[in-house]
Amino acid sequence: MTDIPTAESPMTPEEADDALAAEYVLGVLDHAERLQVASRIKTDATFAARVVAWEGRLAGLNDDFAEAPAPNLLPQIEARLFPKPAKPRSNWMRWFAGALVAASLVAGALLLMPGTPQATLVAELGTQSEGLVYLARHDGTRLEVTRAAGTRPAAGQDHELWIIAPGAAPVSLGLLRDAPLSVEYPRPPAGWVLAVSVEPEGGSTTGAPTGPVILTAEVSL
Amino acid sequence: MVAMDDPVGQLLFRIAAQDRAAFAEVYSATSSKLMGVLLRILGQRAEAEDALQEVYTRVWLRAGRYDASKGAGMTWLIALARNHAIDRLRARRPEQSDDGEAELVVDQSPRAETRLIAQGEARRVGDCFDALEPDRADAVRGAYLSGLSYQDLAARHDVPINTMRTWLRRSLLKLKECLDE
Repeated sequence: MTDIPTAESPMTPEEADDALAAEYVLGVLDHAERLQVASRIKTDATFAARVVAWEGRLAGLNDDFAEAPAPNLLPQIEARLFPKPAKPRSNWMRWFAGALVAASLVAGALLLMPGTPQATLVAELGTQSEGLVYLARHDGTRLEVTRAAGTRPAAGQDHELWIIAPGAAPVSLGLLRDAPLSVEYPRPPAGWVLAVSVEPEGGSTTGAPTGPVILTAEVSL
Repeated sequence: MVAMDDPVGQLLFRIAAQDRAAFAEVYSATSSKLMGVLLRILGQRAEAEDALQEVYTRVWLRAGRYDASKGAGMTWLIALARNHAIDRLRARRPEQSDDGEAELVVDQSPRAETRLIAQGEARRVGDCFDALEPDRADAVRGAYLSGLSYQDLAARHDVPINTMRTWLRRSLLKLKECLDE
């Protein structure tokens, strides 16, 4: 390179902040520095505004990103965002499900031998010492939550399971009773939170936890 | 309020109000562009597709923070996608060094200015880039479009990282002066 700038005047604190915001938007910082700046954006509104201003300034370069065919991933994205909670089934459904289970047990016994997809532990809610533990496992398509220690709440109450994306409202995944809760759900990303609240029997009717949240755990993979 | 001529911004406002039809519309209207951004920066289709899911998950969760007075909806979406892609790139950097690959991706693209002339906003960027020394303008463009880090840029331009950092910071402030005129 031609010159090594040594004689230039030092930047003012404002200029230095502005340069840092620009470096963040450009993406040139290393991982540790990016994390530091990202947390500053959350707490320092003036700095956050500098970042947004730089996003606008450099947006003229966006035309240079060519389009690329994108597969339709909307179903997977929606399944993650809008899970269908497992609902208690009506009697005939239960009978039908029973028949299906019996049939699938036979089929399963034949298939089970090698290579059954293994469910991996994604979160442990509670500890033995607290006397109540739920284990959340994921097998690639379903989230299964079993009580590993403790008992269901007092009569007239239920434990309800919630999933919480960073910065978002809790979404119910269903009720935790003696049988494991199994719900079709994509593998939640690390950093999402599973929580258990105590609700009136049958679960919250408001769509949000109404009783105390007694257990929480971050999803780890 | 969102400008009538910014359909993506309008969709973001509807998404902030939990409108799932608007979410599907924004996906079909913008996913090829965001896929282009992710693919350019990440270089691998499988990872870009994974990132695409993550980006649209965030679009739904964060649409409420979109501020139309700060820019067009598409600008907000691309900023979200670039940010996520660069986070992924920096997180994986220590294990795999793929400078060669990044280099290749950079060279595939035409120089930014050649395609930027039509638009007002873009034209200003092009003019202001011309005011920078060519190698510094290239460094800024390489970082923005291909996700090059200071380390990559220093290697490319064959200067120590600190030198690269000093001149890039100066160039950015110069660029700001020109763009804000």
